[in-house]
Amino acid sequence: MFAHTPLRLTTLTLLAIGSLAYAFVAGFFGLEILAEIAILAILVIALDLVAGFGGMVSLCHGALMGVGAYAFTVAANEAGLGAFPAMMLAVALSAALAFVIGAICARSIGIYFIMATLAFGQMAYSFVFQSPLFGGDDGLSGAPRPDLTAIGIDLTDSRAFAIYAIAMVALTYLVAAATLRSGLGRSLVGLHHNEKRLRALGLTVWRAKATAFAISGALAGLAGCLAAQHTQYISPGLLSWTVSGEALVVVILGGLGTLVGPIVGAVLFVVLKHEISAITPYWHAIVGLILIAVVMSRANGVFGFVEARMAARKSKPVLQKANADA
Amino acid sequence: MLETRTLTKSFGPIHVTKGVSLRLEKGERRVILGPNGAGKTTLFNQLVGELTPDSGTILLDGADVTSLRVADRARLGLSRSYQKNTLFDGLTIGENLGLAAAVALGKGQGLWRDPLQSAEVRETVREVAAQVDLAAFLDMSVKAVSYGIRRQLEVGIALATRPKVILMDEPTSGVGPEMSKGFHRLLKALPRDLTVLIIEHDMDLAFDVADTITVLNYGEVVFDGLPEAARQSQMLKDIYLGAWEDA
Ligand SMILES: Nc1ncnc2c1ncn2[C@@H]1O[C@H](COP(=O)(O)OP(=O)(O)OP(=O)(O)O)[C@@H](O)[C@H]1O
Ligand SMILES: [Mg+2]
Repeated sequence: MFAHTPLRLTTLTLLAIGSLAYAFVAGFFGLEILAEIAILAILVIALDLVAGFGGMVSLCHGALMGVGAYAFTVAANEAGLGAFPAMMLAVALSAALAFVIGAICARSIGIYFIMATLAFGQMAYSFVFQSPLFGGDDGLSGAPRPDLTAIGIDLTDSRAFAIYAIAMVALTYLVAAATLRSGLGRSLVGLHHNEKRLRALGLTVWRAKATAFAISGALAGLAGCLAAQHTQYISPGLLSWTVSGEALVVVILGGLGTLVGPIVGAVLFVVLKHEISAITPYWHAIVGLILIAVVMSRANGVFGFVEARMAARKSKPVLQKANADA
Repeated sequence: MLETRTLTKSFGPIHVTKGVSLRLEKGERRVILGPNGAGKTTLFNQLVGELTPDSGTILLDGADVTSLRVADRARLGLSRSYQKNTLFDGLTIGENLGLAAAVALGKGQGLWRDPLQSAEVRETVREVAAQVDLAAFLDMSVKAVSYGIRRQLEVGIALATRPKVILMDEPTSGVGPEMSKGFHRLLKALPRDLTVLIIEHDMDLAFDVADTITVLNYGEVVFDGLPEAARQSQMLKDIYLGAWEDA
């Protein structure tokens, strides 16, 4: 079951302090990277919630994020809603879509679940790609950033935007952590371990899965809104399954089912991407090698590895004692 | 409390349940005996809804539940334990019981509070842990405890829903004779108004806890009555001796 261990709280605190401190000293390029990390972090927290804790490995989270980005842009630009109402609408739409996908896919598990989510993701992708309303291949530009000048914050400034994005990561984390500690979250983890038994205990399994997927979808939609606000240009590529695949890589790299690990993974992934791509255009191959090394090491990602080492250190005296008794 | 009328089920050409009619009164403790492959587990699977019978009716507390889904029947107060452990392996014993209690209390979809911290759930966990002798193990992971403890947890999870009717599929299978005896003491200490249906292989232990006995053989009820009568029955001895010799 999900719990806030001292290691997790320490890591979160360090991430918060580190990112905010960096936001105050970084130049333009650094701030862009910070915002990119924050948006990816939101997406992977959302994905870890269902994939890491509920065992529902999704390949449609990119699409859910893309739906959020498009809904936000269209609502703000075409329908003339303010940025915040447009965000709420986009988040709600992503959640509703995720609920439907979750409900339909609830019966399938493992590889079938992955394939079903992939199919839904591709449907959303081709819909956006084909529809004239969404600019097709050309995408849409001009997504607005929220206007916070009333409280003295100008989000067109990169520094302010990076801090705003970090705040959204914090909000996302709080929502995910609260969900995991709720009855639904407890059931979600139980479902991962033994779906049949939970059903026999009286849980309406499809509804639990769909609701969890909806919350995750809402967060992915939020990531989409931020992505649209960040680049102020969106294209169907955002909905592509490769975005979902990349998010999954980041979750695994950081540590499935740890909630904190994927944030660490997002930092590593974006930093590595920029560092390595500055040296060689084959950065995907290098990241691939790192992923293989992580998977082959049998550790649960970078953060999972640290957690396991800490746990081993703590339980060592007990083991030695047990051996001495034997 | 629990009743079946001419329940039948086949897997292809094999008739596993042949016109089984049973009737359990409230608070009755009935033991089902029968050799391997007699169809005992298959009967349980139909009672809880994990399998759909080909024909026949299942009544719970007077209501026809034959077409209800597993979770709906559970919510009406029907609970079961499995012959093969069906636990939440990565969790602690306390979390296993807490999750079961939380779901049964309707807190399994809640979004605001942690049900494991709620007074009701904690109280249930404490009570059930005492009932199945797990109080000392609540913080241990399922993976870290012995098979016998896991067997107790298997029944504990079923009890944590606070059911009206509990079905236990060979609760003592695979545990030693000492632990079996201890387990039967636990069974006898269960509240008298709980209706209990137990599949049991060990005849002596079965006679020890049963108010009534049902014997299944090749999917058919071949005996239904009091333990004393079962003890006298030559037919039962034949079935069982045959089965023991085969095994
Ligand atoms: N899903 C299934 N598909 C096909 N045959 C099955 C299935 N489930 C059970 N059977 C068969 O039905 C018969 C009865 O099985 P069941 O598990 O109900 O017996 P049992 O009385 O519980 O035996 P045991 O004492 O070994 O647990 C067996 O011959 C078994 O092989
Ligand atoms: Mg059986």
